[in-house]
Amino acid sequence: MKRIPDYVAIVLAAFLSAGNGALAAQDLAGRVKTKTLANGLTVILVERHGAPVFSAIYGFKVGSVDELPGITGTAHLFEHMAFKGTPKIGTSDYEKEKPVMDEVNRVGRELSIEIVKGDRADPAKLKDLREKLAALEKEQSRYIVKDEIDQIYNNAGGVELNAGTGTDSTQYVISLPSNRLELFCVMESERIRNAVLREFYTERSVIQEERKQTTEAVPNRLLSEIFMGAAFLAHPYKNPVVGWASDIASVTLEEAAAFKAKYYTPNNCVLALVGDIRPEAAFALVEKYFGAIPRGEDPPVLRTVEPKQIGERRVTLEFAAEPRVLMGFHTPPFPSADNATATVVANILSQGRTSRLYRDLVQTQQIAANVSASAARPGMRYGNLIIVSSAPRFPHTNVEVEAAVVKHLDALKSEPVGDKELQKVKNNIAAGYIRSMASDMGLASTLLRYQLLFGDWKLYLTAQNMYDAVTAEDVMRFANAYFTAENRTVACLVKKAAR
Amino acid sequence: MRTRKMLMGLTALALLAAVAGPALAQLDPKALPEPAPLAFKPPKPVEFTLGNGLRVLYLEDRDLPLINIMGYLKCGSLYEPAAKAGLASMMGTVLRTGGTKMMTGDAIDEELELLAATVESSIGPEFASLAAQCLRKDLGRVLEIYADIVMNPEFREDRIDLARNQAVEGIRRRWDMPIQAAGILFTEKAYGADHPLGRRATPATLASVTRQDLLDFYGRYFAPNNCLIGVAGDLSAAEAKALLSKAFGVWKKRGVAFPAVPPLVERSDGTVFYAYKDTPQANMVLGHLGSRRLNPDEPALEIMNYILSGGTFSARLMKELRSNRGLTYGVYGGVEAGPDRGLFMISSQLKAERFVEALGLIKGQIRDLQERPVGDAELAEARNSAVNSFAFRFETKQAALLEYIDLRLEGYPANYLDTYVDSIRKVTKADVQAAAKKYIDPEKMIVLVVGDEKKFDKPLASFGKVRPIDLEAVVAKELAPLK
Repeated sequence: MKRIPDYVAIVLAAFLSAGNGALAAQDLAGRVKTKTLANGLTVILVERHGAPVFSAIYGFKVGSVDELPGITGTAHLFEHMAFKGTPKIGTSDYEKEKPVMDEVNRVGRELSIEIVKGDRADPAKLKDLREKLAALEKEQSRYIVKDEIDQIYNNAGGVELNAGTGTDSTQYVISLPSNRLELFCVMESERIRNAVLREFYTERSVIQEERKQTTEAVPNRLLSEIFMGAAFLAHPYKNPVVGWASDIASVTLEEAAAFKAKYYTPNNCVLALVGDIRPEAAFALVEKYFGAIPRGEDPPVLRTVEPKQIGERRVTLEFAAEPRVLMGFHTPPFPSADNATATVVANILSQGRTSRLYRDLVQTQQIAANVSASAARPGMRYGNLIIVSSAPRFPHTNVEVEAAVVKHLDALKSEPVGDKELQKVKNNIAAGYIRSMASDMGLASTLLRYQLLFGDWKLYLTAQNMYDAVTAEDVMRFANAYFTAENRTVACLVKKAAR
Repeated sequence: MRTRKMLMGLTALALLAAVAGPALAQLDPKALPEPAPLAFKPPKPVEFTLGNGLRVLYLEDRDLPLINIMGYLKCGSLYEPAAKAGLASMMGTVLRTGGTKMMTGDAIDEELELLAATVESSIGPEFASLAAQCLRKDLGRVLEIYADIVMNPEFREDRIDLARNQAVEGIRRRWDMPIQAAGILFTEKAYGADHPLGRRATPATLASVTRQDLLDFYGRYFAPNNCLIGVAGDLSAAEAKALLSKAFGVWKKRGVAFPAVPPLVERSDGTVFYAYKDTPQANMVLGHLGSRRLNPDEPALEIMNYILSGGTFSARLMKELRSNRGLTYGVYGGVEAGPDRGLFMISSQLKAERFVEALGLIKGQIRDLQERPVGDAELAEARNSAVNSFAFRFETKQAALLEYIDLRLEGYPANYLDTYVDSIRKVTKADVQAAAKKYIDPEKMIVLVVGDEKKFDKPLASFGKVRPIDLEAVVAKELAPLK
């Protein structure tokens, strides 16, 4: 029998009494409708009538974890390319545009080959190819209707048009007024089926800037990149989602297209719609448009397994910024019980002002400016890490902060966490679960994540039960098993003088 | 319009089409008929005022067993003395962490966190805000704590020290990211270092803030008649009224007077401020003072911002700098309103090797907006976007309530949302052009760039007169009292 402390019973009672046809947690299972089309596309619908709008998200189970050396960043690069249109969208005359675009791509490929030669590249050839490419791109631009996907959605009152690539998956999002469901279906089924990868080389340049802006100029992001590179030896979780600079600079359109063909199949895709929709009519529209996308082959399986870590790893980043430290320990992936315990442990360590690390390092000793722990980084599909990140408060140092963190991790090994403390953490996880349903997009993306990564959205409910089942003994066993020196990776940002 | 290859494959496609429906041809979403317009009336909050002058806005939200409370008071750094810059922000933190006469900050933390509830406070330039979230069943107790924090804060010394130490560490770290450094310096230059909006807290000003200062500042502005509270959630209007009357009934009405804020003076004069930092891109903010809130040009400015730099891919600057040339990951900004003046500001992190070219492109786009009417399709899209996405402002009851709270705080007329859509529909090309001329002066705008000029395509002097800023000296001077 499962032990349910009183407080959880109260929280559950609150769920149960929501009433009034509300989207209460306990009836989520009854409200979520799913269907798998003949081509393998899984569709999730939740009907909820507030404002006359709906949110849509669809994702492919492909992320940076599926990339091979040399083409890191391709999942993300393709995500950008998916906004460039189709033969009907983004062009004034595709028939005339196409031959010019083929030339652009031919010259672009030659240029990429030359760039990869590095120091041995022929400067005259580089210059010539760059000029040719620029002239061809200019010619192609005569036919291009700029960012027409955006234009069409903006006119329709769409908001939140965006996409995101992670280690595990790639998602596309848009929210629209509820009279635009058919527009969504036409537009997105076309983007999946008939994407035209125009303006590839300009977009590659955008991504080079994106990498500088979001990683190279941001101390904690750069530290995190270096940290992951050390924590993972073999597994592709070691690579940044945006890709390595050299790979972004040289990846070709053909490589991006091949990557897309392999992974952007309906059988590797989940679509979730939440909001002011009628499920029957919505299923029919989705079937009509998305149903015609041909099924693809099953995507390849990742073979590489991260070997067990056998000794502490330490890396340093010298950078013109204030110090900061990252510490991580390998943990097994979802849906293992230990992965659920990792989430509970991260909360014990740093969720809220009464958490152990905040109260001691930030509030009492005041040696840190901030501290946070998080589980399941950088992804959920494969073995991952529980990470503690902290910035020392001057004149305190990374060394002091690191020692203080280790002291708290060690304390978890020998002293059972108190009932009240554990209950507090579980209450907050449960409340977070309810809050995750507050917005249409929030709910849609949560349901999508579990369906896409683990094949069943109901694992989201399972996860809640697993958090709730974690005991003080589980926490102690977890700490002893994973918070060891030999399983630890530490990355320190050390301040470098500016000049 | 089909390609040759598609035509040749047509027989095979036709066979499939019988089974699979219309998606086999390349579909054109523009060919879809315009759907019937949505019938949508925004939810209206119930509004009432307690006997002591406290205004309440309420919206029912039965979807989840949750309550959101959002309280605001007119109280901000605009009213703090220059020598104590940072006082308002510190008070915003310690209001919540410093406890009340009845409870220490720690006791509040423990009780709220066990309930998985949050109460958070902060103070910005104009307003203090206190937001609470809880499960419905805990509303009674959470509201008691919330009201206690609003009415009886204790500002305990240990939490003042903690807030000060954290703020000082924040000052030390605020230069770590180059775009943030550019933004801080731009704000100073555009508003003026002597204006409350342009100056910033330093370790020296923070050191001078005492507990008595916080108590005095609190006492001056925290009164029920200067407070507006919004409640959205799983309760009835009658319940909301009863609970708030009970919680805040004892709060005594009293006079609140605001010190005069010096008027903003345009001081931008086309200077290019250059701060060296060893970083890969050119981190740029440019602009000058913006518009005044509650002015009849607001619809035209909204359309103009959308077309110039509103953040979508249809904005001209996004097209020119990102989509056409690959010079940046993004460019954003526009003319923003403030109680006196806001800022006109364009911000972007640009490819250093083509930075001066990018500056010229931005200036060229601004001039074009002033010299030529915008296109039909551009204007239509900007208007359609605002009109057709109107419902999203009310997507959740919490969002809807915030919309109403903002309008009330900023003094917009009660029927603003009823007339908004029409006011957008009426904006003409001439209005957009006139707004661009009236609110933007490309000769006066200053440029603040953080980066390494050696990497730039041309010397900055080719764009305008340059004044270097020694970033290291700025930081060293700020931090000097700590050495």
